[in-house]
Amino acid sequence: MISERREAPAFQASGAIECPREADVLEAIAFGRLTDASDPELAAHAARCSICRDLADVARALRADCETAIHDAHALPTAGMVWWRATIRARAEAAQTVMQPITVLQGIAGACVAGATAALATVAWRFADASARLGDLVSYVASERGTLVSGFGFEHALLVLVGLAACLVLAPLALYITLADD
Amino acid sequence: MRDVTFSELGRLDADAPAAEDTFQMDEDAFRVFYDRTARPVWAYLSRMTGDARLADDLLQEAYYRFLRARVTYETDAHRRNYLFRIATNLVRDERRRPRVASTPIGGDEAVDRADPRSIDLAAAAARRMDLGRAMTRLKPRERDLLWLAYAQGSSHQEIADTLGLKRSSIKLLLYRARRRLAAVLREGER
Repeated sequence: MISERREAPAFQASGAIECPREADVLEAIAFGRLTDASDPELAAHAARCSICRDLADVARALRADCETAIHDAHALPTAGMVWWRATIRARAEAAQTVMQPITVLQGIAGACVAGATAALATVAWRFADASARLGDLVSYVASERGTLVSGFGFEHALLVLVGLAACLVLAPLALYITLADD
Repeated sequence: MRDVTFSELGRLDADAPAAEDTFQMDEDAFRVFYDRTARPVWAYLSRMTGDARLADDLLQEAYYRFLRARVTYETDAHRRNYLFRIATNLVRDERRRPRVASTPIGGDEAVDRADPRSIDLAAAAARRMDLGRAMTRLKPRERDLLWLAYAQGSSHQEIADTLGLKRSSIKLLLYRARRRLAAVLREGER
């Protein structure tokens, strides 16, 4: 209470970081009573005590700014809106946690397809390297595999290769369409 | 990671626990708590970031984190302090980020020079801008301390809890911050 008067030194000792009347000054500012008219003794103290003067200047400025800021906060979302958004977000996060293993599986499947593509490409490259021409490669495969590709000419072999390549491109796409439902 | 789709959300809806189970308070209690704290928290966020729009976003984030926190509150003051602690951490995270365009506070009021009310508004806006400029010359922690102590009226213990500091160091830190701000404000007046 402001009525409880304590004597504070007129000049703060060097090194002092507090004044016994700080609480009185703060209370007076809170109620708008730190004026010569309301409490001349406290106002005079606040004017000559460096600690209370700083306190009064800072507290007045910050309190006024806080009041303005609270007044400015007129367009805040309602409690219901904040609650609803929080509920939606919590649900989305829960769903994401549940979906995480599926996403990992998709990643593994994608990596497998990519690995198989790379392996096939390497094998094909080696065959192409070994044979001077693609026709030689087809003849080589036909002689090795016997009846499986016998009778296939160069054009047929090309079709088989194009089909294989199309499968490799379409497989990840099909996988994605199967697993993603939107 | 891909986005969660609406159908997945719908599928999970039936299995999802009620919001009361997910959050640490029910909707009615939240409404009461929000209505009591939202404005002071927004004021704190807007003044500490200096950006009104950012404060809007951080307000939502602060309440979300508050609702998701698994903390047992002994008192209502403890609950409030925890919310301010979350807000303080959000402000700290924002300070670490590179700033883009912001919505400055208090500088855009139209002033009709013939209207005395408008002149009062202009003077208030000027004072606010002076304070805003003076605050930017302080360290972030000093700003937090001063705002909590003199704008929010928090006790030393509450400030220590909010800012994660020792209670015994608050008095000295506040004294230094106060002296610096007072000096900067007087410098601005001259």
